[in-house]
Amino acid sequence: MAFSSPHITATAVEATSFMDLSRKYHVTGVPKTIVNDSIEILGALPEEQFVETALQPGN
Amino acid sequence: MGLLSDSDTQVLKQHLSVIDTPVSLLLFTQTFGGSEGGPIAKQVLDEVASLNDHISVVEKNFVLDTDDRAKYAVEREPAIVVLRNGEDTRMRFLGAPTGYEFVPLIESILLAGTGKVELEPSTVKMLDAVTTPTEIKVFSTPT
Repeated sequence: MAFSSPHITATAVEATSFMDLSRKYHVTGVPKTIVNDSIEILGALPEEQFVETALQPGN
Repeated sequence: MGLLSDSDTQVLKQHLSVIDTPVSLLLFTQTFGGSEGGPIAKQVLDEVASLNDHISVVEKNFVLDTDDRAKYAVEREPAIVVLRNGEDTRMRFLGAPTGYEFVPLIESILLAGTGKVELEPSTVKMLDAVTTPTEIKVFSTPT
């Protein structure tokens, strides 16, 4: 997604090495995705569902 | 001793052989007082880069290279920034890319090195509609 949009940055975070970030975003299971510090997606979703959730309007 | 087995190395080399564009992996680490993941990240990247001439590792000092840190918004180490032909792909990795992060690392290198996007047309359409800065973080674990 980041590669295809100049407005998107994507970071893969190794959760156990950055416990402060894991706590901040309440990472209790993986994979967990955070978009703009506001949208949370737990688990792996099908592409269409993931994109619709991650890019919902207003964020 | 390498992190990759001989058989993994052969398979990986085959996968990476489609790359036709230079990929630079900027690795930000801290020499003194840095995290344990720094040396591991370097070993992983060096082994992957050794498999294809188009892939290179560029080491950055997390403390001293403040301009590059600012340019790529790197706030922690070890951090990896993937460049295609010197251009930022906006794909990043925080922590040593082992375990479940290894496959995404290889996929990002392939994407950067080939430019071939394998997304659904509907996804591409939604991505084209994004006009504001969007920061996606995906948390995973080594095992």
